[in-house]
Amino acid sequence: MSDSIDPPTNSQAAPDPTDGPQYCAYTDYRSGEVPEDAVVPKNGADSEGLEREVWDALFEVEDPEMPVSVVDLGLIYDVAVREDGAGTHAEVTMTLTYTGCPARDMLIDDIREAAASPDGVDDASVELVWSPVWSIEFVSEAGREDLREFGVSI
Amino acid sequence: MSTQRLGAPGDLSEREREAVEALLYQLADDEFVVADRYTDWQCQGPTLEADIAIANIAQDELGHARLWYDLLEDFGYEESELIWERDAADFRHATLCEQSFESGDWADAVVRSYCYDVAEFLQLEALAETSYPRIADRIEKVQGEEHYHREHAQNWLERLCEDDDGTRRVQQAVDDLYPYALTLFEPTAKEADIVELGLRPTSLDQLRSEWYDITGAFLAGLGVSVPEESELDDLVAEQTGRDGDHTDDWQRQYNELTYTYRMLDRTEARRLMADPDEA
Repeated sequence: MSDSIDPPTNSQAAPDPTDGPQYCAYTDYRSGEVPEDAVVPKNGADSEGLEREVWDALFEVEDPEMPVSVVDLGLIYDVAVREDGAGTHAEVTMTLTYTGCPARDMLIDDIREAAASPDGVDDASVELVWSPVWSIEFVSEAGREDLREFGVSI
Repeated sequence: MSTQRLGAPGDLSEREREAVEALLYQLADDEFVVADRYTDWQCQGPTLEADIAIANIAQDELGHARLWYDLLEDFGYEESELIWERDAADFRHATLCEQSFESGDWADAVVRSYCYDVAEFLQLEALAETSYPRIADRIEKVQGEEHYHREHAQNWLERLCEDDDGTRRVQQAVDDLYPYALTLFEPTAKEADIVELGLRPTSLDQLRSEWYDITGAFLAGLGVSVPEESELDDLVAEQTGRDGDHTDDWQRQYNELTYTYRMLDRTEARRLMADPDEA
């Protein structure tokens, strides 16, 4: 079937090699902006007590593909610790970078386990949300350092 | 037209819930079935890049299918009921999605994806105004992941139409697929409520008209002709899929999709890992 198909051609002018590296013309590097009054992502900076401990546990969870904490990656939108007659519950609200993320279940399980790990927390639940849309601007300065060290330009 | 925002899943009236479900099945099934078809091309594309691109587009569409199936789970359904144990005749995808590919004809894959992705783009734009907050929250994420699908299809159409043989193949694929592409704009039984309740405030007729203008102009620019707009109503494929009536291709695809599940006598969707909540 391929005999009638020409090799890929690029209609743009060939890049000038002295210009330095060229990005692929078909790649769209999108970036967003975090508004001044952004409410997400959070990092637990102001949290205390058990919530602080849940945040600390979440900091230990890394993205399955890159050595960066899910908190520094900006995936965690909220943590709440709630008590009722049945016990003490940690509730994590988070997003994913990509809807087709193949590590979705694994990552959510890791986060749920971490959130349930501090002494005094009986169980944890994770709610996945898609709004606001995650963007690369959500990565913290520490996260950027980790990613650069890993070899990802950001 | 009502622009009142609907409530949480548990607070919907029966009429609202039925309309929301109909819309979600249509959205989810389209994405799921077209994604499964795209994977037929994995390892078969004309270039390595083409393989990777179409596999990646399939993965995107599966992710989007999951977003919509997740919202059906709000109503208490489980994954096994939504996919693996649902009768083939209960799927509501348009019959464009299920057509088996003309053997070895990459133009078929490219034309299909172009027709589908322009329709999806317009549908998402319309859904950005939805009255159902659970859908509204997901639209921007999906839109952000759709942009390059159209670019991919357009780039390939331009490349294929650079010579006569390629243009002939594209024209053939357009002629073959057009009646099925039109089924993307055919109504489910709940279409009137979907529009009236503001779930998708734009009518399917309006979407089809916009789709016709966009795709017709682009294809004409490549030397590929499409039917007159006045002919469209008569051209729509007999089986639209929106009412559960599908072509034979769907039954074959469905059998293949569910083969392993049935062979292993499964009764629920398996997980790679134990759910810690249930451990």
